[in-house]
Amino acid sequence: MTSAAATTTARRTPRRRHDVIIVGAGMAGSLVAKELGRQGWDVLVLEAGNGGTDTWPGYLDSVNTFHGAVAKVPNSAYRSNSAAPFPDVLDLSPKGMGYQAGGYLRQNGELPYSTDYLRALGGSAMHWLGATPRMLPEDFSSKSTWGYGRDWPICYDTLESYYRAAEREIGVAGDVDGQRELGHRFPEDYTFPMEQIPPSYLDEVCRRLDGAEVTDPVAKKDFALKVTGLPQGRNSTPNHRYEGGTGYRPKGAVGLPNYGERCVGNASCIPICPVQAKWSPLRTQAEFSDTVSVATRCVVTRLLAGPDDRVRRVEYRVYNDPATPVSEVQSAEADIVVLAAHAIENAKLLLVSGLADHSGQVGRNLMDHPTLVTWALAAEPVGPFRGPAHTSGWEVFRSGPARSSRAPFRIEIGNWGWGWSTGAPMSNVAALLGLGGAPDGSARPDNGIRGPGLRYALGFLISRQIQLQFAVEQPADEGNRVTLDPDHRDGMGVPRPLVTYNLSEYVRSGFLAAKAVSDAIYHKLNAADNSTYTPQDGVAPLGHFIHHDQHFTFHGAGHGAGTHVMGTHRDTSVVDGWQRCWDHPNLYAVGCGSMPSIGTSNPSLTMAALALRSADRIHHDLVELHRPAYANGHRGHIGERTVPVAAQPHTEERP
Amino acid sequence: MASLTRHVSPNVVSFVEYSVSRTGFTRFDLYATGMAELYYDTVLQQLGLSDYEALIGGSDTGALRGEISEATRLEVERAITYLWYTGAWPRIAPAAHAELRRQQANIEFVVSPDAYTEGLVWRAFGGHPAGAKPPGFGTWSDPPSCLPDLDEITTGIEGKHRGSAPGPTAPVLPESPDELAALLPGPAWAYFVTPSAHPLAAESNTTKSNPLEGTS
Repeated sequence: MTSAAATTTARRTPRRRHDVIIVGAGMAGSLVAKELGRQGWDVLVLEAGNGGTDTWPGYLDSVNTFHGAVAKVPNSAYRSNSAAPFPDVLDLSPKGMGYQAGGYLRQNGELPYSTDYLRALGGSAMHWLGATPRMLPEDFSSKSTWGYGRDWPICYDTLESYYRAAEREIGVAGDVDGQRELGHRFPEDYTFPMEQIPPSYLDEVCRRLDGAEVTDPVAKKDFALKVTGLPQGRNSTPNHRYEGGTGYRPKGAVGLPNYGERCVGNASCIPICPVQAKWSPLRTQAEFSDTVSVATRCVVTRLLAGPDDRVRRVEYRVYNDPATPVSEVQSAEADIVVLAAHAIENAKLLLVSGLADHSGQVGRNLMDHPTLVTWALAAEPVGPFRGPAHTSGWEVFRSGPARSSRAPFRIEIGNWGWGWSTGAPMSNVAALLGLGGAPDGSARPDNGIRGPGLRYALGFLISRQIQLQFAVEQPADEGNRVTLDPDHRDGMGVPRPLVTYNLSEYVRSGFLAAKAVSDAIYHKLNAADNSTYTPQDGVAPLGHFIHHDQHFTFHGAGHGAGTHVMGTHRDTSVVDGWQRCWDHPNLYAVGCGSMPSIGTSNPSLTMAALALRSADRIHHDLVELHRPAYANGHRGHIGERTVPVAAQPHTEERP
Repeated sequence: MASLTRHVSPNVVSFVEYSVSRTGFTRFDLYATGMAELYYDTVLQQLGLSDYEALIGGSDTGALRGEISEATRLEVERAITYLWYTGAWPRIAPAAHAELRRQQANIEFVVSPDAYTEGLVWRAFGGHPAGAKPPGFGTWSDPPSCLPDLDEITTGIEGKHRGSAPGPTAPVLPESPDELAALLPGPAWAYFVTPSAHPLAAESNTTKSNPLEGTS
């Protein structure tokens, strides 16, 4: 493992002027920084949150924080930060038939935006699952094909080489043939760097249904079930055939050599992999060249543009103690500025700075994968709470003409029992004991289960837990948006984001179909369905809605996207196909916020591919800016930093 | 017996003996968690010395401040069992909390990060704590481990120790789904609900949300 370019503080960054400033040391920011640093450019990465996880003791501290947390939610390995606050799923609680939102995100939508993110070194990718499916080729043009959502200005084939680059950088384990069957296109002899993560025992139980037909009553169509493995950014057995026989050496933990080089089944990917077998941005940061500096505890508060619409200055606040927002203002300049702070934070920064919004789309089109969770008791033990959270799924509902009648969905076979749905296994202990009292507060009467009976019953009931997660596509909808709430500011005086969120009829129709499919699957598995979403005593569960007289609950998947959407024209989109802002030639907004649609795949791999593609373009921009002046005046002058002739105008992408 | 407990205080020894019959794990298993002293200290701190003596200590002098109801005594027994199984002291029934006149807030907390990893619930179903004690690459593909049946568990904890609570006399798990629903947790109404505040499946109105259920 090469030694990391150590994170530093803002005071120790050597200069105030850089080639590139990147806002955010998450997945997209780290990939762009590494690529530009590799080309020799001077890059400053400003991270709002804390560092420390890049050392082994610091990382273990996060693991211990997770072990000691009662609520093992995605952010439970990371401490809150008053200076750079971020939302947590615990901020939301049901209120009557609706919800109330505490914490960082203000909300005024009909339904709660129940997704979190993390402002810390590595960003939300620290707690990601590590699922790396590509988007389907048909996902890029839902508008022209089925009349919903937004089309991408680029297509799958344009992105394909960058998907491969991302799969190399992250280190993806998977089976290409299984993905080919779904419609993904790869070069003839392509393999992933590592062999597929072994399917779970539950996957094999589900595979017994392969070939069985299930009716989707909304699409009015039958589908044949087939279990497909999930490509993952998680260390597995290296594939010796990778890159024509070159092979692949897995990269392990940062700060501890020769460790974490293969998943050992900790089964806690979200929120943290104790051995770092799951890829995180720390690994990419450890390979930064010497020209890249990362400064933590620097909250970018504003971008300032000049009369030529070029972003001149990045203003940020430096703090020492995350328990208080006491900070000091500093600023820096760069030729290129890259926003990589997460979809919502990127939009917030653009809105605060009054930039990039000729189209009126900044902050709009906020998307997530609303997820239906169902759970059942199997007829036999299935070995839950083992391995990665999900290793296989049913993919057949993601694609095809059925998308014109209902939102498509991807079915994740959950390997972690009823954890997400009912708080298992701890709630199993409480339920069997009768602990905690009846609804009226009195202690429950003795049910006779204790000691050996308790141990036996826990073994019996937990070992049979099956959970399925249905990630439904949410198309871009201008009404779902992030705006500023100037009446509510964070500790540094920056207005907090205000989220307005809802699920359209199209999405709700996907839930209707998903539940019917779930019922059919459990029936075929001879499993006793325990799913229920009805209100109790006038209080509806969080994320509750009724569609066609049926009750549903949706969960957020953590896939914030769409808030600085990519398009073909500056009137209707915020960034072009390279993620460069139409309105500001030296400002890029990278991340899932650029994505016009997210299909039914976890968006991180696509975000990574887009980031690597943008890095190529940024390098091209920087080369143009540094071209020497010629006597005949055909090139711009370095000293004046005028817009080089060759860099205008934005090239339109051909799908 | 003497060599096992030579360096452990008698109070901890009797606490562990009390816990054997409540948890269904042998004293060897309980000592092996390394948590016996920490759990004893936690329970003492949560109950206070006099209530501890009255409820668990088994001292013949009885409660120092009047009778504690059977319902509360049972709730405390459940809380201690929960502590061994999860490494966390739970939120107990509000009525029990009030009767004990506890000063501490009635919320669940994990006693220590290590206590989480030593929770017995994971062993009960043949697993490992999420985020610790990884069993190795690919083991999630293996069939789940065979679990001991009720007789094997009961025999395992008997022997010299009779236990201060009788073993189950009736079959533990009911047949009917409705009775089973009284033993299973229902859905969380927010992203996280403290485990002992979860509704039971029976209380969550398990009306199927698909009206076509059962007709196919």
